[in-house]
Amino acid sequence: MRVVVAEDSVLFREGLVRLLRDRGHEVVDAVGDAPSLIDAVAATEPDLAIADIRMPPRHQSDGALAALNIRERHPHVGIVLLSQHIELRHCLELIGTPGFGYLLKDRVLRLDEFDDALDRVAMGGVALDPEVVQALVRSRQAPTALGTLTAREHEVLRLVAEGHTNTEIGRILGLSGRTVETHMRSIFGKLGLHDDGATHRRVRAVVTYLESGIGR
Amino acid sequence: MAPSISRGLTVLATAVVAGGVALAVAVGDGPATLACLAGFVAVATGWVVACREPRSAVGPALAWSSGAVALVLSIEVLARSSYGSSPLPLAEVARPLWVGVWPIHLAGVLVLLLVFPDGSVISRRWIAVPMAYAIGILASVASSWGAREIDGQVVGGNTGAWGTSLAVLGIVLTGACLVLAVASVVFRYRSGDERRREQVRWLMLAGAATVALLLLGWLAQALGAPIAVAYTPFLVGVVVLVPLGVGIAVVRHDLFDVDRILGATAAWTLTLIGSAAVFAIVVLFASRVVGAGTGLAPSAAAFVTALTLLPLQRYLTSATGRFVDHDRFVAVAEVEAFAAQVRGGQRAPEEIEELLRTAQRDPGLRLFLARPEGFWSDMTGARVEPPEGLAVQANGAVIARIVLGHDTARARRRVGELARTGWVPIEVSRLRLALRDALGEVEASRGRLAEATAEERKRLEHDLHDGVQSRLVATGMRLRSLQHHGLDHAQSGEVDAAVAELESTVAEIRRLAQGIRPSRLDDGLGAALASLGEDSPVPIELTVEELPELDDTRAMTAYFVASEAVANALKHAHANRIEVGVRATDGRLVVEVCDDGVGGISPLGLTALRDRVDSLGGRLGIDSVPGLGTTIRAVL
Repeated sequence: MRVVVAEDSVLFREGLVRLLRDRGHEVVDAVGDAPSLIDAVAATEPDLAIADIRMPPRHQSDGALAALNIRERHPHVGIVLLSQHIELRHCLELIGTPGFGYLLKDRVLRLDEFDDALDRVAMGGVALDPEVVQALVRSRQAPTALGTLTAREHEVLRLVAEGHTNTEIGRILGLSGRTVETHMRSIFGKLGLHDDGATHRRVRAVVTYLESGIGR
Repeated sequence: MAPSISRGLTVLATAVVAGGVALAVAVGDGPATLACLAGFVAVATGWVVACREPRSAVGPALAWSSGAVALVLSIEVLARSSYGSSPLPLAEVARPLWVGVWPIHLAGVLVLLLVFPDGSVISRRWIAVPMAYAIGILASVASSWGAREIDGQVVGGNTGAWGTSLAVLGIVLTGACLVLAVASVVFRYRSGDERRREQVRWLMLAGAATVALLLLGWLAQALGAPIAVAYTPFLVGVVVLVPLGVGIAVVRHDLFDVDRILGATAAWTLTLIGSAAVFAIVVLFASRVVGAGTGLAPSAAAFVTALTLLPLQRYLTSATGRFVDHDRFVAVAEVEAFAAQVRGGQRAPEEIEELLRTAQRDPGLRLFLARPEGFWSDMTGARVEPPEGLAVQANGAVIARIVLGHDTARARRRVGELARTGWVPIEVSRLRLALRDALGEVEASRGRLAEATAEERKRLEHDLHDGVQSRLVATGMRLRSLQHHGLDHAQSGEVDAAVAELESTVAEIRRLAQGIRPSRLDDGLGAALASLGEDSPVPIELTVEELPELDDTRAMTAYFVASEAVANALKHAHANRIEVGVRATDGRLVVEVCDDGVGGISPLGLTALRDRVDSLGGRLGIDSVPGLGTTIRAVL
């Protein structure tokens, strides 16, 4: 797939570019700051943009702001934000939407998982770092429809939010694919989500899950 | 009065006194010569006043107060000579007047009393007084026309019923006029302003001194001194002190603190009279009881008098002070009362400036404080460069400066006394301001330190994340790349292990950075606090209300308060439930951590926490009753 990389640390950028190429991706541009990222995406229309969240010019959430900009102008470009630590400012409205991922930087070292996450996002799925999900769930305030979920259903939904498929979830939790599907149906039912195309419903379940921590 | 008339009258008085001296010397009359010479004091003073206040009648009146005496003495000398072997010129004219002219003695003083200190009579009506006095003189002269004096006995004159009536009329008229003249002075004193009162006080001082001298004269006479010696001080008082007092009053009324001198003089005069009375009463009483003739009565009287002298004098000083110098008495009492209230904690010492203004009746008065830090400030503590003024000293150092809105020598004396009375509140205000500023400086410096620390922590955290952590991950990526470009199985396993090591190092650094400054603070205090429950074995209920934008220092302090308190509850309280609440009220951030544990924790264990809260000027409250859990509340 065609990828644009934006990262201000040269060492990290070069390493990332090399890894991506090793995995057979085409890195169409590698830039060092947020405005260049927006320009590069406009110029190359890639499948995926991978961006550091803290970048020049302001060294704050410039990457996240650039991601919002890209999402508005090029809705079909998948975006993966990388960060050294959990920092959610300006990302909240992207989290849970299709084609968006948020990972801690050291996840890059687990090449297979990282590559999977990139693929999912490029295909319009989500990929959230477990720590991000945890942080969002912790911030939960008022009890919502989620309060009616069982512990197991919570666990399943958390994995869905992280972007895993039913098969993967079954593997992680040691359940059969059918059992996971049963759990998913129960979750949809409890959250009042009707069957209007499985992917869409999945995304909305994740959004509901995350919003319970975001809408504050 | 026109200056020319004033000068003319003064010249005339001078001439009369000079003539009197010449006559007295010519006939060899020693006492008369002395009396006329003493008259020059009044004449000289009269000239000074006439030159300084040319339109005032006080100058000529003063000159004539002795001029009149010299005139009477001259008439007497002339009249006496007409009966002798070698009559002087004009002796025949003076001869029938001799005995009747005595009221002229006091004519000058009468006019002086009537015009003092303004230089003219109170109103036109008062002109009737000297007129009536003149008629009195005429009546006196007419009643004793042609009479002469031989060895103190009056011989001849108008001895019929007519003459007697005229004599009575003369005495009544002149006496009434003198009473009215004194009344005029009293009237002026009571209705006059501060300056007039002070001038009149000089006259009162001279009068009181003269009366005191008269009393001393009596006392001296009673103790057996010759009459000439006993009464000389009194006569000097009459001819020297009174003119001097009047002169000073008109020319330099604020020369000395007349109020105090007057008060003291009056008090001593009254003390003398009182002591003499006590002495007399005790002697009388004791001689009745133990019988006259023993030495016991006078001894007892002396003892009792000595005993009563001091308290009597003290009481009289205060009483006359209140009467003679009422304003000063009230002002000092006001300041004293204020100082007592400050001691009692009912009033703030900083009110001293306002109080001095009221007591001094000078709204423009300002008090500046000499700060121990080495500069001047006003009462609010603002640094100023004060204008010249009156230094207030305490313990040998200048502590303040008073600048008067209405600056006169008298006002300076008065306010100086008030400041001496009220130096303690002044000193206390000065030290309190210094303390307040020093505390403010300490607080500000602590705040700056706290801010700098927060900034430093933020920088350190960013350095760890973006520097070290980033390079570690980059190194890991190079290893992965190496692995990709062909390594044998064993080597690849080594790389996997190395990368795993790197990963755990990165996780460790993230944890360390979290301790330095929770990075979730970037997402808000609520987000950072939410992470507190992460490793807690006890459920933590978090309530975060809508918060305004927080500065980093406050957010960080709030976070550390909560995490410290939670850690404390987990470690010592054996709590089953912990509640963390954050809310903003009145621009203050309130962080509250409650647990249902054993309670009764020692506040000493929370010193670090308290220091942190204090450094932001906040307050930390700890509510920990054994068995009822603990509540720690920080207001930032």
